[in-house]
Amino acid sequence: MTAFAVTWATVLRTVRDRTALFFMVLLPVAIIVVLGVTIRGFDEFRVGLVPAGRPGPLAQELTSDLERAPGLRTRGYADAADARTALRRAELDAVVLVPAALDEEVRAGREVTVTVLVEPSGSTGHAAVSSVSAVVAAHAARLQAARFATEQAGGTFDGNLAVARRTGHTSVPVTVRTRTVDGQSEFLPLGYSYSTPTMLVLFVFINALGGGAAIVGTRGTGVYARALAAPVPTGALVLGETVAHLLLALVQSVVIVGVGAVAFGVGWGDPLAAAVLVALWALVGTGAGVLAGALARTPEQVHAVGPASGIVLGMLGGCMWPLVLVPGWLSTAGHAVPHAWAVDAWTTLLSHDGDLAAILPDLGVLAAFAAALLSLAALALRRRLTSVPAR
Amino acid sequence: MRVVFAITAKDLRQRLRDRSAWVIVFLAPVLISALMALAFQHNSEFRADLGVVDLDRGPAAAGLARALGGPQLAGTVRVRRYDDAGAARRAVDAGRVHAAIVVPEGFTASVRGGGASPVTVFDSVDFGLQAQLARAVTESYVAQVDADRLSVATAVAAGAPSRDVARLAAEAARLRLPEQARPRGLSDDPLKVISYFGPSMGMFFVLFTVGFGARGYFVERDQGTLDRIAAAPVGRGVLLVGKSLSAFVYSLAGLVSVTVVSWLAFGARWADPFGVAVLGVAMAVAVVCLTALVIALARSERQAEGLASITVFALALLGGNFVFAASSTPAIRRLALFTPNGWALRGFTDLGTGVRGWAAVGAPLLGIAAFCGAVVAVTAVLLRLRRPR
Repeated sequence: MTAFAVTWATVLRTVRDRTALFFMVLLPVAIIVVLGVTIRGFDEFRVGLVPAGRPGPLAQELTSDLERAPGLRTRGYADAADARTALRRAELDAVVLVPAALDEEVRAGREVTVTVLVEPSGSTGHAAVSSVSAVVAAHAARLQAARFATEQAGGTFDGNLAVARRTGHTSVPVTVRTRTVDGQSEFLPLGYSYSTPTMLVLFVFINALGGGAAIVGTRGTGVYARALAAPVPTGALVLGETVAHLLLALVQSVVIVGVGAVAFGVGWGDPLAAAVLVALWALVGTGAGVLAGALARTPEQVHAVGPASGIVLGMLGGCMWPLVLVPGWLSTAGHAVPHAWAVDAWTTLLSHDGDLAAILPDLGVLAAFAAALLSLAALALRRRLTSVPAR
Repeated sequence: MRVVFAITAKDLRQRLRDRSAWVIVFLAPVLISALMALAFQHNSEFRADLGVVDLDRGPAAAGLARALGGPQLAGTVRVRRYDDAGAARRAVDAGRVHAAIVVPEGFTASVRGGGASPVTVFDSVDFGLQAQLARAVTESYVAQVDADRLSVATAVAAGAPSRDVARLAAEAARLRLPEQARPRGLSDDPLKVISYFGPSMGMFFVLFTVGFGARGYFVERDQGTLDRIAAAPVGRGVLLVGKSLSAFVYSLAGLVSVTVVSWLAFGARWADPFGVAVLGVAMAVAVVCLTALVIALARSERQAEGLASITVFALALLGGNFVFAASSTPAIRRLALFTPNGWALRGFTDLGTGVRGWAAVGAPLLGIAAFCGAVVAVTAVLLRLRRPR
């Protein structure tokens, strides 16, 4: 009962702290939104479109073809200088300058060059040029047909262009079909389904670490010393604080899971597997937080070191970017921290439709991390409370 | 001035005795920048390993393979040949190639007007851009083939005698598409990941100085230090300048350390060292202004700590310190311009892409100045409202 009284006091104090609530709920959700909006559209080339000054119908048609092309995410720019600046700042992969005299040149029987600006050293731009070339070639095919028909059968270019468009609709071109061979991604799904589970992992850990400052603060005020004089067993204090931090970590997890599901449409996969994963991760965070609370000398130390180490561990563990993107040795090093195993488990659940059995190896490692951290935390806190009564 | 420097030196000594201050402003940003530099050292290059299966063995299929190996895609595309579609499919499935193109038997015949067999692209969900590239190159090539077929069909539909189809097809095969896309390179430097995230992480952690400064003020107030200083012949202005100067020096030192380490150890590049320096100074001034605002808003050490934390994370989130601004949506990029760190990062981006002088830092300096002006005005109003009557 004494342990639960300690738990209740700690939970109540945290819930009344508006700053703590900001870090528990508002900040993770805000970052989920920003990342969710940003991490998408990686299967498209970002292309800036600078239309011709006074475009004729052919230039307009080419612009529309580019805007509608699958695989291209286009953005219009009225000014070529603005588009160049966006390209330089890496906001775009390429910029298409639709020639002002396109209509006149084509009608005069001359060849037209559509300039595509790219970063010379970045190969993404050159790949984007290939996508633009495919659209330009499809447009040019109709122009070639109209020009050829005019030469061979007479009539006007515009009349034969209309014939080419009709013929294009009715003829059977050589098609390019796509077959997806490997439908199981090694990444989390893009958008909110990426940002929500990774930020759950990152923030539950950081918040739990930050919670260690409350333990240091309570030590500093002498509350533990007075409680021990009451007498309250040291074990009850350790258990009470640990359960309080676990409850807070679980509440934060449930809030993020709920917001993700309701507001962002994140499917969390197999419910049983997801629940076990959330619970184990909360235990890992609790262990780290209580350990920080036992080891640090001042709350400021926890505030300074907690977020910094939480972010570094999160980066190493693949919360900021998928570990399959980094060099092999860094990915291996990343699996020295628990975050990587949690992100792997979420990837299996969300991208491979995995179940509890599929993530058992990850859960096993997380359980080992949780057991080690909780044991160390309990020992360290017990030692701190008994050997230095005033702190 | 001697008193100002004495206050500044005392504050700096006090701060540097706290090891957590070293961690947050010097160690953490360098460590995180190093991680980012290591993680993305080879990621600026886009590569596509594409498999090709030529079941046609005719000249048209060979032309497609040549298009993949053309000079425009040299250094981007690496082609591996497979004997049959099954082998190519397995290679994509195993991740040995990002995508594979299978040219069907009879492809060359279809160019001459025979039945049109589809060309197949095998792709994998994790390599969308590479698959898009494989499709685009194939479609570009096929478009020329289709253009010839369409030319003959249009000529016939427009009145050319249908008995001349063979002659028309031969003539159409000699045509060249009248519209071609041609790449042209910009002359600027490519932006390196570390040139952005070095200063970005430096700024993020330097913003924590707002919390140190504001908390320190309330600690000294509660301990009576401020009253004792006020009793001495030292004006409030001198005290304020001394404390501001210490926050400025501390912030600037943090930014200098991360930019120098990013430059020397991780190869960050900016076109104009003077531009880097003025952006660092401007950010340090912004930190001082924000510290004053938090002190004016808060009533206790605890409140100051909370307000400072919220300010730091809100600015970092909006300003683009967590995500590469260029990957964000235009709306998020616009929001970043309401923050000093967002402006500074724009300046660092421009300096990192070879822009120099006022063209790179002019707008960011004005943006940061406007932000600081607004913060100082709000602080002044708050202090006036709170002054005991």
